[in-house]
Amino acid sequence: MAKETFIVKNAVGGMIYIDTGKSPVDYRLDAQEDGGWLFTIRTKRSAAVEEILRFRQELNVFVFREEEGRPTVKTWYYVGDGPVEYDEAGGQLTIRAASRIEYIPDTYLS
Amino acid sequence: MIKVYAAEDRHRTDLGWLVSRPSFQFGAYVDPDNTGFGVLRVFNDDFVAPGKGFGAHPHSDMEIVSVILKGAIRHEDNLGNIEITRVGEVQRITAGSGVIHAEYNPSETEELNLLQMWFMPRERGLAPSYETSRYDPAKLTNALHPIVTPTGSEEAASIQQDMTIYLGRLEAGREIAYRQESGRRLFLFVIEGSIQANGVRLGERDSARISDVADLTLSTPEAPAFVLLIDLP
Repeated sequence: MAKETFIVKNAVGGMIYIDTGKSPVDYRLDAQEDGGWLFTIRTKRSAAVEEILRFRQELNVFVFREEEGRPTVKTWYYVGDGPVEYDEAGGQLTIRAASRIEYIPDTYLS
Repeated sequence: MIKVYAAEDRHRTDLGWLVSRPSFQFGAYVDPDNTGFGVLRVFNDDFVAPGKGFGAHPHSDMEIVSVILKGAIRHEDNLGNIEITRVGEVQRITAGSGVIHAEYNPSETEELNLLQMWFMPRERGLAPSYETSRYDPAKLTNALHPIVTPTGSEEAASIQQDMTIYLGRLEAGREIAYRQESGRRLFLFVIEGSIQANGVRLGERDSARISDVADLTLSTPEAPAFVLLIDLP
């Protein structure tokens, strides 16, 4: 069975804000009609959420897929100008990505 | 104002295969009061062990310049570029809307030393691209020779920002004068030796952040020196 990990980190400093491999969160990923992608994360307004909002233009967003006997497949999402927003009433953070690149780290520098 | 930052005051990251001395907040070095200088966000003085390096990872909306001081670096990216950059060469990546790359020291015996700099681009969402340029080392003698410019040239990489990176080698007793336009900044890094910048001493691997100085004179009264100067907004 495949394992999926969702990660949000700072693109310059590398600080990790969300890592479902270490601290699970409820999230959903939906393809948008214009080709973009929308992450919806159910979470309280935490210090990590504040940092994500503060550094909304410097985010690296990933989904890692690991399956036994196969190399890890990483998908990186380009957030660009987002938007990245927090909905107080709904208790959810949304991150909109404009595009994505899928890559297999093992195929580099081989 | 010329504000000097001593080499030994830089943070030191030691991962065994990598020793990095960042001038600005980066990775494990967290200092919210030191996150950049104008459009310069990262200036890392990296030493990479033979055969080691950075696995595949993304970048976006940054102009990334690597100046090789010792050894070589092998770069591979999702755009199809596979290249080795050596001493005398400069690597420039426009990360733009996204690039995945890996880089490592291809030598089995020689350490790699590079200066890696990240600059904010003139606009976000640019088309990603990669370039390696080569400069003539003879042109560095007693001059500030441009190695990265907005338009690029046969001997200079191009960059998507209103800025220029120079290298210069001063012989003992020589001077170089540089005129700074009003409202711009200069970042000075001493690669080898020591220099005087308008009479202010900088030792090896020291840096200076310079603003509101119209005329800058670099001199080396006693011994040769090798410097990198960035003129940036």
